[in-house]
Amino acid sequence: MITLSQRLKQKNQNDDSPNTRAPIRDRLLVKEAQEMSQLLPASCSVNYVNENDLSKFTLIVQPTEGYWEGGTFRFDINVTEEYNMVPPIVKCTTKLWHPNISETGEVCLSLLRRHSVDGMGWSPIRRLNDVVWGLHALFTDLLNFEDPLNVDAADQFRHSKEDFKLKVMEYVANYARE
Amino acid sequence: MADENDNDRIDDNQKPEKMFTLKKWNAVAMWSWDVECDTCAICRVQVMDACLRCQAESKKDSYGKQDCVVVWGECNHSFHYCCMSLWVKQNNRCPLCQQEWSIQRMGK
Repeated sequence: MITLSQRLKQKNQNDDSPNTRAPIRDRLLVKEAQEMSQLLPASCSVNYVNENDLSKFTLIVQPTEGYWEGGTFRFDINVTEEYNMVPPIVKCTTKLWHPNISETGEVCLSLLRRHSVDGMGWSPIRRLNDVVWGLHALFTDLLNFEDPLNVDAADQFRHSKEDFKLKVMEYVANYARE
Repeated sequence: MADENDNDRIDDNQKPEKMFTLKKWNAVAMWSWDVECDTCAICRVQVMDACLRCQAESKKDSYGKQDCVVVWGECNHSFHYCCMSLWVKQNNRCPLCQQEWSIQRMGK
């Protein structure tokens, strides 16, 4: 038989740990989401999965210069309940040819590293705005062929910039049209 | 020219009429804590107030008083002790300057 006290006990147990972080995340998100939308780069836009949930959204980057110009790239951003002790989880859902983003969507951006030995990883002083600008910069300033995630893409670039450029354009045409 | 000189002479002799009189004024003062950063960079609440977590949990606190203290590192950066103790569990560096974190003092 289910008694009220048992139900309450069960409920309290379920309320433990991760859920106690959620209110902190949600409080931080109210401010950070607003700041992010005000400071959004011109080539970016944000779509929320559910209007009432600020923790899950899609960032759309449409570079206006560089190799990926003309493409539309989507990043799913998930701000977990442990935020801001841990960075948001970011996955690129548009297939692309990029030295710092794998074909399966993993993103290599120092800011998004949870544990870092060099002091370049996530820090709780960072905000959503920093994440958005970081992802945006992967197509320009932060593009890095020296420490690649997609080694084949970086190798190709080293051997023939033209071939690399063609492959990027091929991927854009096939996968990154709006 | 002559007219101007005449006017000057009159001004010298008698004081010009007051343009306005101050009837009432309100003094406004600002104050801030004498610390390098008065906002906790982790939860973005003033260090002298309770941190975001303690504020959120205040309803559950049966003692009535919150004991959310401030902690200063050797690097002179200050945070809520609650916020910092959560962070150092995964990375023992100051979030602001990335120096190895060691506590200089604690309190309010």
